[in-house]
Amino acid sequence: MLESVREWVLFLSKRLGILVISLILVSMITFAVTHFIGNPVYLLVGPRYTQQMLDNMIRDLGLDQPLWRQYFNYIKNLAQGDLGTSRYTYNPVMQDIRSRLPATLELSTFSLLLGVFWAVPAGLIAGTYRQSWFARLVDLVARGGVSMPSFWLGLLLIYVFFAELHWLPAPLGRIDRQFRDLPQVTGWYTLDALLAGNWSAFVSSVKHLILPALTLAITTSPSTLQITRNKAEEIMQSDYIRSARAFGLPNSTIRRYAFRNMLAPIITMIAMTYGYLLSGTVLVEVVFTWPGLGLYAVDAMNHSDYEPVMGVVLLSAGFYLVVYLVADILNAVIDPRVRVSS
Amino acid sequence: MTTTSAPVPQTPLFRASALRRMVDAHGSRKVWVNLGLLFLLILLGVLAPILPLKNPVKPAPMATLQPPSSEHWFGTDRDGMDVFSRTIFAIRTDFALALSSVVIGIAIGVPLGAVSGYYGGIVDTVVTRATEVLQGFPQILFGMAVIAAAGNTLTNVVLIVAFYNIPVYSKMVRSVVVPMRNVEFVQAAKVAGNPPLSIVYRHIVPNALVPVFAQLPLSCAYAVQMIAGLSFIGLGVEIPRPEWGSMIQAGANYVVFGKWWPSVFPGLALFFSVWILNNVSDLLKSLVTRRA
Repeated sequence: MLESVREWVLFLSKRLGILVISLILVSMITFAVTHFIGNPVYLLVGPRYTQQMLDNMIRDLGLDQPLWRQYFNYIKNLAQGDLGTSRYTYNPVMQDIRSRLPATLELSTFSLLLGVFWAVPAGLIAGTYRQSWFARLVDLVARGGVSMPSFWLGLLLIYVFFAELHWLPAPLGRIDRQFRDLPQVTGWYTLDALLAGNWSAFVSSVKHLILPALTLAITTSPSTLQITRNKAEEIMQSDYIRSARAFGLPNSTIRRYAFRNMLAPIITMIAMTYGYLLSGTVLVEVVFTWPGLGLYAVDAMNHSDYEPVMGVVLLSAGFYLVVYLVADILNAVIDPRVRVSS
Repeated sequence: MTTTSAPVPQTPLFRASALRRMVDAHGSRKVWVNLGLLFLLILLGVLAPILPLKNPVKPAPMATLQPPSSEHWFGTDRDGMDVFSRTIFAIRTDFALALSSVVIGIAIGVPLGAVSGYYGGIVDTVVTRATEVLQGFPQILFGMAVIAAAGNTLTNVVLIVAFYNIPVYSKMVRSVVVPMRNVEFVQAAKVAGNPPLSIVYRHIVPNALVPVFAQLPLSCAYAVQMIAGLSFIGLGVEIPRPEWGSMIQAGANYVVFGKWWPSVFPGLALFFSVWILNNVSDLLKSLVTRRA
């Protein structure tokens, strides 16, 4: 008992240490991009400026100070949640991000669920029955999904389901106009509609959500599918499964043993997909004018507004690291060897 | 940390049996179809200027958004430019940009991985950690940020994609180098008094060439996707230069009105190219894992 507590403390402190170091590295990289690759003064002052404005800006930003001091200030601002101000919405970037985050989270979470719900079972079946036509079909779909450009797939779906069939609404935003004043609790329109008991608002939000979510599910699920299939294939041929069969254990028990052993890599892959999705939605958000973080960053960029782009980059990189940490912890829960060996 | 056990290939890059082994692993149909299609794509790109194609950058204000016909096989776009001709010419743009970014990535990644793997210690730890963090960076977004800072030029787009290829190759080379540090022939070279860098380059790195070569088409596939993605949001290649991503973008607003051809055909070409490149990389990987 005591031993296992010690293990956990050691494991968690090590993982948290890695997280902190990684976050510092992330901040150094973004700092380097703003201060070495580009000149922050020109980025902030915009296309029209006078010498006076430049001088003031340099003093205000502390760019006349030594580099370590600048980096220190940069970290201090970050720690206080200050990501600068958008020149195009006139809001603090943090506030803009907070209002747009739910849209992106809703989209990426639904895409992830959609992908996982088909990819894991399909991978299990394809891995168990390797020679079947189903395995071959799964292989084909996975290859197709990997090679498919998400923004193009989105356009195809829009063409088929909106322009031709008229089954789904125009790719403009998250919900039909008449439901815009839905009371916001979670910021997820699907959940908010359910909480408000407004069925038609729910249907409307799902109709807006389904195509972008499907697009992302198709293009991001193949990695989960492949890893599930490979693991299933490997484990079904392993010695312990063979002995379990030899002992005459029922199939359901064997499946349970096998599944538990393939869970760790699957969870890691799902976590990586989720971490990727938060920023991987950019192109799809543009196609569907989905008002999330990606569209915000692209709009800002088109207005030569720099700080929002950097803010979204920082947030996504941080999110990725945290999701990865959570996956590591889950793996340690499933498999004690993970927490001892690391 | 777990270190992945390295594939240590023991065969030279091209032996008469390379094709043979691919056929053994994948079946002759798959090998010939994929290599043939890749060859055809490259050939189309190279020969585009002398093929009887319409001018890919000539607008025709009187013939915009024409549906596919015998005159314009893939129709015309919003400027009246011929979509078929542009789709073919775009092979040149996309493949050239992708290949140059991958080559730059290899040129930096291979030495980086070799040195960090051979010397180990603090250099190795820093390089490994840094590459791991970099891979967690949101690629399109980070590309946007860097290009916004450094300027929207083709060179910067190529450099960004190259930058993301560095860790792929440094990791790969490192995984070949690390288990070979103490192999007999390396120690023999050491005892013979060769300087460390020459040992790494003459005796160890050549062993990484086959996996690097097998990875190349996969990296190109990824690079093409990234370049098209960046162009789709207006970074890098600009109209009228034929490029798949910017072509899809230019047609995107007309898809909702049922005019699908300006976007669908270039996207199909993009999809097809990435598919072929992925398959070819698969074929080449059988040279790595299946050792003699």
